Amino acid sequence: MTELYRLRSVTMRYGSNVAVDIDSLAIDSGRLYTLTGANGAGKSTLLGILAFLTPPTSGEVFYGGERIDWKNDIVRLRRRKVTLLHQSPYLFGGTVFRNVAYGLSARGIGGDAVASAVDRALRTVALEGFRDRDARELSGGEAQRVAMARALALAPEVLLLDEPLANIDRETAGLLEAVIASLPSRGTTVVMTTHDPDHPARLSGGSIVLEGGKVAHADL
Amino acid sequence: MDFLVSSFAAALRLIVSFSPDVVDAVRTSLSVSAGATVCAAVFGVPAGLAVGLSGSRWKGVAVTGLNTLMAAPTVVVGLLVYGFLSRQGPLGALGLLFTPTAIVIGGTLLASPIVANYMLASVRGADPRILPTALTLGAGPVRAAATLVGEIRFGVFAAVIAGFGRVVAEVGVAMMLGGNIRGYTRTMTTAIALETSKGEFSFGMALGIVLMTVALIVNLFLSLLQRR
Repeated sequence: MTELYRLRSVTMRYGSNVAVDIDSLAIDSGRLYTLTGANGAGKSTLLGILAFLTPPTSGEVFYGGERIDWKNDIVRLRRRKVTLLHQSPYLFGGTVFRNVAYGLSARGIGGDAVASAVDRALRTVALEGFRDRDARELSGGEAQRVAMARALALAPEVLLLDEPLANIDRETAGLLEAVIASLPSRGTTVVMTTHDPDHPARLSGGSIVLEGGKVAHADL
Repeated sequence: MDFLVSSFAAALRLIVSFSPDVVDAVRTSLSVSAGATVCAAVFGVPAGLAVGLSGSRWKGVAVTGLNTLMAAPTVVVGLLVYGFLSRQGPLGALGLLFTPTAIVIGGTLLASPIVANYMLASVRGADPRILPTALTLGAGPVRAAATLVGEIRFGVFAAVIAGFGRVVAEVGVAMMLGGNIRGYTRTMTTAIALETSKGEFSFGMALGIVLMTVALIVNLFLSLLQRR
């Protein structure tokens, strides 16, 4: 395993509130990590930093050995290697196809390559035949699966999942859990927040526990 | 009461008979308002978007500035543009004063802050997940902003329609910059002001009816968009 992320003295403050305060944390490539902690422990904030969406207030973040310069345009290129899937994902207006193809179009990919990548991703989440459906008319579980397909279509180096299995039915949760568990074998690093105490053992990966923004326990 | 009823009947006759003066005023009003609205959309939509998405500490100043400009009296805007376009003004050589183009310029200045403010309100009311979703899927800042505009497109239409409503109903700018020249720069509002002052109440009422009909159509369209 090679080190993918390294965080050094990373803090994130909102006014006087310290959301994240991490002395040191390393995340290896091709592994699955569960990120647990109480509400407000800093899990979502940490995912925002790892997704290169939110620059930390202070500290250094290294990705693939390279120090991230948050003011540099290169951070946008790094962002394309990482995809964050929110707990309550937003689906753009239009069809399921438009949603799943969005990231591919943003990368300048078009034509048959998009169609086949979209179909493959929809097949992975068992939504064949959904590509022409209106994304706004899907059930919560279907929307979650479309959002997962949208992320998988990009084949990201890192997939960050913010409680992806919350608020969905057991069948959908089982399907998505199986998809998530299979990702490290395809080379994708996964960091997943969860409140389910069984997930760390069941998904047999690394485990990071946050308390008050600090790493209380890390089984890496 | 008889005066109003007979004037109303005369006004309807003028409309139904397509009186050339009425048709000219309506045509001029709609064309300069459409031109000013398009220009205001070009300036106002990006301005509202930029202010709405800005994290700058000057954002409050920009919002206050837009609100102040939105409340600017039409005659003040007319006066300002008149100063630029008059023969002694810096743009006097262009010969634009008392032309439809001058009204379009004034209308653009009037409508742009309204479009920008409506746009700003739409951006503030947009789902906060839109931009992070676009960015994490690999969109650059421009594409992400375009995606946001697409997602709040009904708010954008509402902004543009509100701008049109402002321009088509104003009289100060059209009067000062257009000069109320018959068949050339005479709009519905300036014609109403002139004809009523001359005692041609029914003519003014005919244009008033058309103006109210336009306002009604615009507002119906706006309500329709807001309901979506």
